[in-house]
Amino acid sequence: MPFVRFIGFSVVRAWQGFWRNAMMSLAATATVVLMLVLLSGLFIVLTGLNSGIQFIESKVGVTAELVDNLPITSRDALVAGIQELPGVTKVTYVSPEEAFRRLQESFASQGKTLETGGANIQLQATLEIELANPSFASSVGDALGERSQITKITTQQEQIDKLLGIINVIRTAGLVAIGLVGLTVLFMIVNTIRIAVYSRANEIEIMRLVGASDSFIRWPFILEGVMCGLIGAIVALVLVAIVWDPIQPIMFNVFKLPFAVGSQFLATLSALLFAVGLGVGALGSWISVRSYLSSAA
Amino acid sequence: MTTLLSRPEAGAVATEPVISMVDVGMTYPNGKVALTDVNVTIPAGDFVFLVGPSGAGKSTFIRLLIRQQLPTAGRVVVAGRDVSRLRRGQVPQLRRRIGIVFQDFRLLPNKTVFENVAFALEVTGAATATIRRRVPQLLNLVGLQEHEQHLTTQLSGGEQQRVAIARALVHDPAILIADEPTGNLDPVTSWEIIQLLIQINDLGTTVLMATHNQEIVNAMRRRVLALEHGTLVRDEVGAAYEREY
Repeated sequence: MPFVRFIGFSVVRAWQGFWRNAMMSLAATATVVLMLVLLSGLFIVLTGLNSGIQFIESKVGVTAELVDNLPITSRDALVAGIQELPGVTKVTYVSPEEAFRRLQESFASQGKTLETGGANIQLQATLEIELANPSFASSVGDALGERSQITKITTQQEQIDKLLGIINVIRTAGLVAIGLVGLTVLFMIVNTIRIAVYSRANEIEIMRLVGASDSFIRWPFILEGVMCGLIGAIVALVLVAIVWDPIQPIMFNVFKLPFAVGSQFLATLSALLFAVGLGVGALGSWISVRSYLSSAA
Repeated sequence: MTTLLSRPEAGAVATEPVISMVDVGMTYPNGKVALTDVNVTIPAGDFVFLVGPSGAGKSTFIRLLIRQQLPTAGRVVVAGRDVSRLRRGQVPQLRRRIGIVFQDFRLLPNKTVFENVAFALEVTGAATATIRRRVPQLLNLVGLQEHEQHLTTQLSGGEQQRVAIARALVHDPAILIADEPTGNLDPVTSWEIIQLLIQINDLGTTVLMATHNQEIVNAMRRRVLALEHGTLVRDEVGAAYEREY
């Protein structure tokens, strides 16, 4: 029961304190919202890019163009040899006819018809080599380069590296931005709570003189900071939920976000927003109250 | 049976002083010497005046008792606790054994009389039932039961000091320290406050009152501790404000 009374006392005092110092509390809460919205944006973009790159990675393979008129026996021996290479999961032979059919399908899917003007398009036979992991692309490519039956090797490693580079830049820039906004929020909360503490210096002195423990003095202020974080997280989450509907199709169609991840996306984001909001609120007010209490007798 | 204020047992008066200062000295970090070699023992149930000119060391004397400061020399024992040896977490327990009132009352202006007194119980985790029982008892003792729903800003100075006294007594302290409690009051109201302090002392609480009010000290003829330049120059029972010999 004493603990319940302590919690009740602290929550009521924190709520009263929040509204007594309403302008500063709301300003601090608004900065929390700003930080959390930025964090949500970064989270959405990075999740999309990560899932996009995973989709692309799953499609990464090596394509080897074969010399013309390669005998079937040589081709089969080549395929068997490639299948033995580390990291190779599947090797598929694509004949020139199959390649031409795919080209026609590709045009058809864009609503066009492949016009050859009567010319006979001669595509090359290829081997499509699927890999267990994109990191095998260069070693497999090197191994294939030594074979005389192969005229050209194509990997998508360069594109993947470029995409990874862009993602890393976005991630770093986003984290720096979040860090700066986070520091601003921390500073706002430290000052909000400091003002609250100083405006109630008389009350705190009375509390000390009548024998209130440090916990009874400290926790209402810490909860006041937590309240800024909590309200900020709720507002940020509502904003994200509002824009989630238009964002969802982009995440699934453009970034190929798996549906299993998509269904947990909001839950994961909510947990992140609440953890960060409450954490920053509690840390800011704790820093503020700690410095005041340790200086007072 | 619950008593309003606890009266010390007869045997305890002689054996267990409420305040004991042994060779106490206090020098501030800037080198100013506030107290030198102070030796005082105040038994339970006593009524003591602490007198002296401004800057004599009265405030430091009180701050040492409530552990707002630690002595730089000697030993201060209050309600059986050596204040220098208390850990930070034990200080609140000491302060619940000490009631304190000030010249400027130090009430919360946005709270009612009841809430001001109840506040001292709330912040120490008292149960609601305890608060509902204890606060009216104390307001009755100080004669403010009719004003419990008034804001303290609606009260006269004397009434505000009564609220402060009620608040100081909520934890049934062993000692009530009054720092210039009549300093802001007119003579008639001052005497009303003194009567209340006498009544509280009669109920068993030790009272230590710092004052400049010669008339009251001379009329009461209680024990007087006189400080000058940080030194205890007089410790006399049944004395006047000034030395009479």
